[in-house]
Amino acid sequence: MIEDYFLGKNKKKKKSSHLLSVQNLEFILLTSMGNSKDRIKFNVGGRIFETTSTTLANAGHDSFFGALFDDDWNLSPPKEDLFIDRNPDCFAVLLDLLRTGDLNVPANIPERLLHREASFYGLLHHVRTAKWGPFDGNRLRLSDSVKGIAPGDGTAVRAGPDGGCCVAHGSVVHVFDWMLEEHCPINLDYQRVNDVGWIDSDNIVLSACEKLGRGDGGMGLFSSSTGDLRYKFQVCHENQVKSYTAGALSFNQDYKIFSSCKGRSNEYGVGVWDQITGKQTDFFYESPGWSLGDADKLQWLNGMNCLLVATLFPRKDNCYISLLDFRDKNMVWSWSDIGSPMAIDEKRVRDAIAMEDSNSICVVNEFEDLGFIDLRMYGGSVRWSSRSRLMKSKMPDEPCYPKLALHEGQLFSSMNDSISVFCGPDWVLTSRLRRSYGGSICDFSIGGDRLFALHSEENVFDVWETPPSPII
Amino acid sequence: MSNQKKRNFQIEAFKHRVVVDPKYADKTWQILERAIHQIYNQDASGLSFEELYRNAYNMVLHKFGDKLYTGFIATMTAHLKDKSKLIEAAQGGSFLEELNKKWNEHNKALEMIRDILMYMDRTYIESTKKPHVHPMGLSLWRDNVVHSPKIHSRLLNTLLDLVHKERTGEVIDRGLVRNVTKMFMDLGESVYQDDFEKPFLDASSEFYKVESQEFIESCDCGDYLKKAEKRLTEEIDRVGHYLDAKSEDKITSVVEKEMIANHMQRLVLMENSGLVTMLLNDKYEDLGRMYNLFRRVTNGLATVRDVMTSHLREMGKQLVTDPEKSKDPVEFVQRLLDERDKYDKITSTAFGNDKTFQNASNSSFEYFINLNARSPEFISLFVDDKLRKGLKGIADADVEVVLDKVMMLFRYLQEKDVFEKYYKQHLAKRLLSGKTVSDDAEKSLIVKLKTECGYQFTSKLEGMFTDMKTSEDTMRGFYGSHPELSEGPTLIVQVLTTGSWPTQPAVPCNLPAEVSVLCEKFRSYYLGTHTGRRLSWQTNMGTADIKAIFGKGQKHELNVSTFQMCVLMLFNNSDRLSYKEIEQATEIPAPDLKRCLQSLACVKGKNVIKKEPMSKDIGEEDLFCVNDKFTSKFYKVKIGTVVAQKETEPEKQETRQRVEEDRKPQIEAAIVRIMKSRKILDHNNIIAEVTKQLQPRFLANPTEIKKRIESLIERDFLERDNTDRKLYRYLA
Repeated sequence: MIEDYFLGKNKKKKKSSHLLSVQNLEFILLTSMGNSKDRIKFNVGGRIFETTSTTLANAGHDSFFGALFDDDWNLSPPKEDLFIDRNPDCFAVLLDLLRTGDLNVPANIPERLLHREASFYGLLHHVRTAKWGPFDGNRLRLSDSVKGIAPGDGTAVRAGPDGGCCVAHGSVVHVFDWMLEEHCPINLDYQRVNDVGWIDSDNIVLSACEKLGRGDGGMGLFSSSTGDLRYKFQVCHENQVKSYTAGALSFNQDYKIFSSCKGRSNEYGVGVWDQITGKQTDFFYESPGWSLGDADKLQWLNGMNCLLVATLFPRKDNCYISLLDFRDKNMVWSWSDIGSPMAIDEKRVRDAIAMEDSNSICVVNEFEDLGFIDLRMYGGSVRWSSRSRLMKSKMPDEPCYPKLALHEGQLFSSMNDSISVFCGPDWVLTSRLRRSYGGSICDFSIGGDRLFALHSEENVFDVWETPPSPII
Repeated sequence: MSNQKKRNFQIEAFKHRVVVDPKYADKTWQILERAIHQIYNQDASGLSFEELYRNAYNMVLHKFGDKLYTGFIATMTAHLKDKSKLIEAAQGGSFLEELNKKWNEHNKALEMIRDILMYMDRTYIESTKKPHVHPMGLSLWRDNVVHSPKIHSRLLNTLLDLVHKERTGEVIDRGLVRNVTKMFMDLGESVYQDDFEKPFLDASSEFYKVESQEFIESCDCGDYLKKAEKRLTEEIDRVGHYLDAKSEDKITSVVEKEMIANHMQRLVLMENSGLVTMLLNDKYEDLGRMYNLFRRVTNGLATVRDVMTSHLREMGKQLVTDPEKSKDPVEFVQRLLDERDKYDKITSTAFGNDKTFQNASNSSFEYFINLNARSPEFISLFVDDKLRKGLKGIADADVEVVLDKVMMLFRYLQEKDVFEKYYKQHLAKRLLSGKTVSDDAEKSLIVKLKTECGYQFTSKLEGMFTDMKTSEDTMRGFYGSHPELSEGPTLIVQVLTTGSWPTQPAVPCNLPAEVSVLCEKFRSYYLGTHTGRRLSWQTNMGTADIKAIFGKGQKHELNVSTFQMCVLMLFNNSDRLSYKEIEQATEIPAPDLKRCLQSLACVKGKNVIKKEPMSKDIGEEDLFCVNDKFTSKFYKVKIGTVVAQKETEPEKQETRQRVEEDRKPQIEAAIVRIMKSRKILDHNNIIAEVTKQLQPRFLANPTEIKKRIESLIERDFLERDNTDRKLYRYLA
């Protein structure tokens, strides 16, 4: 009977295994209900476990159990207990995971040990998906705080697609997997890191300052697991390779990489590279009186098929926000605060994020006031929301400017040591994430169903995740 | 370099601390290697999966992943080399079976090896980006077995040989071939394509090249097509039985190219069996086959279509220009209709109602029907014939069918206005002589013409019907208001609106007194009820029924024309009259009078008048008297006027001239319409637009258009541009 559940095995190998969906599970249970041959006895490290092949089928083909029940191994019907020379405590946890889909780790089992065992059985993915639920900004809980050993302030934190993250400190980027185990740190000629980003779970792009006259710096592609430099991106101007400083990064679904660039002479603007070939495919030169090469933020807008480029105070005296269409090399929309009356309430834009669904750009000032600019109008002004947090008086010693993020209709804004969550069409404040130590939050990032917040003073980052859904 | 060494050294030291046994890795690998051997020797029952998995896991955990990976490749390679030797040794027919057996064994072994090495597959291979165990096992099989020099070509030749055998009618083990081709597919698309599909296609191409040459030398076109069709279905079957579904298009295109595309011209033009013969002999099945096969190749249908078109045009040209055939218009049109039916049937049954073929046959018909300038007249005559007599006893639905077919021909006509002219004449004759068989049929045809050419085209024809209707009412009113007229001769007047009817110059004549009195009465009655109208008598178109008593008392009722009546009435007063006297008394124009006398005196069996001298032609000096000896079997005698059903040469010229005359205002109207919207236009464009606008009615002659433009310029509708003489300007 056991073979039936693994019949598909010979046909096609899938790289990743997934927990069978509930429906599938029910189906299998029904077909094997009341069949005593379905029972299997294990002796794991001296402890006897009894389970059913149905439960084990949840492990998927690409696991120890999947291979164990391959037709070619003469196992069925098992004559006696199957001995496995592994830790029985962890086996009990993992068996429960296969039975219920829930992960319950007793306090006496170190996480690392459990992960090690899960890796042996090929169940790491199961552990990861059971550990935290789908992201919801209003249900987050602090799951961990990771202290770093970096000497300087943090520059940026970036969430990876499967729950890992990387943290840029000075000229080094520290890489953590979803188990928050640190891998080899990466660097690009030990130049100061400006931005960093995940192309996929195994590839990280790093942008760094150039080193005068050496051709170092620029942009590099690294393996997240080994930390090896896989590729170094180049900027060409008039068929000559130029050394350059790479700034903000963005990626799109057409396998393109965008980065703001500052070169020696003319190479100011936004460069485009192909993720597959690594070759530069385009360059948008900045026009006089406008800023692209110094941009603080790039954001690819999938629906409008263009790139948002924002250069903000205090990097420049003025703020410049523009949308670039690379198909016809055209700046399709732009906004700047040049000439607008200032200094009275000091509402200067510190971060900007485009929200395609509501056709607007959200901006934030140093007092965490949100403002909105209409994308459908050319030359519109910022409509500041009246909400004020009355904190102009007590600014911390080392302030961090607010940062914005958008995730599935929820807007996040960091200010000092907390992150506010806004929802709904009118962006009502619905939650606030705060943790007492570590100083101001200098950057945060959402990805892989997790939120990472990097603190400036104590060199520590927090991991926020949504708990698995309730039992009932 | 030194740096590297140093690091290596450090790692060594680290390992030593963890792994107690320095030979640990070698020992573990030996266990796994032995297991792989056992798996390949199908002796795996004693193996413990858990132990092997754990060993492989430990090797990867202790950083011996590389050793494990290279070891696995080396061991598998060695086994596959052995297997390949065994396969090579297989003789003759067992070769494929042996290969297939070993392939299945390898697949099973590979599966088990992957189970053991799963941890390596997931971690070590994943992070080093090397090929995974399963694809690696497949490529090892490919390199060591399929591509081994002694197997590679032998395998291919064996397969091609089997296919060849099957093509020549032998039965082969399809299951075995399918398993082997399936192996190629499993090894990857490129392996299947390079190692099997491409050579297979080349061999097929060669095979069909030879075979098609053989066939074309020995078979006629129909048989050849049957064979080609059979081959094509065979190949499609073959793909279904043991090839990749993606090969279907490729192999069919090979067959199509070799069997059809390369012999296209020769097949179509084949003497005594090609397309023309098929068309002539109504070989619908063969035509259908040709269509379905030729459709598959580029230009195939175009070739068929071209040959069909030129044949049809040639045939049609002969048909319409044959002077024998145009003697009988009805027969002529019937032949056209028959051809039309035939090609309709061919396109619908054999060519799947292909639009391009329909268009080709339509344009051919249009081409040759217009080759004969008299086609419009003939078609109108055909309709005339059908409506006069042909439709008796035919069901209404069939009448519609005939009329619809005629409309098809009508659509081909370029000079639709000529048709209209003739149709009007013929309709007028039918209506006035009361010869029309069915009003419904007449009206239905008018409706068809209306939908085809618009209201304009038929308004006059409809006017004719209205006139007929109102005339009936008028007559009823006339006799109602003159009850005293029920005695004596009866006058039936049809009041025709000028313009609606084909006009003929009104020929006056002196009517007999009895009649002219009646006429006067009617005139005053009519003008009394309709003021502001003018009546003029079309005596040349009327008929009369006269009661006559001949010499020996034979009573007859003579049906004659108005002119004939006038002549005959003269004989009430005198027995003998000379031509001059008759001419003077009646004032009928000489040609009409001559014809009238000829039909009264010279037609055998209807000669109510005797002529002196007795000759066929009427002379100015002839004398006439009543033929007392006139006899006839019938009481009613119809005396026709000597007039051909077809129009005479001068009449034809006249019709033509009238048509030309009528076209002038239409051309002018078109020019003005166009210029009004365009304001400025050059000469060539005007000609093009006018021609286009008038196309549904007739084909405008460019010189005529030019003349019309000149005339419009003279009348200040247009002017030439001062700078560019080619431009015309509209003057509002």
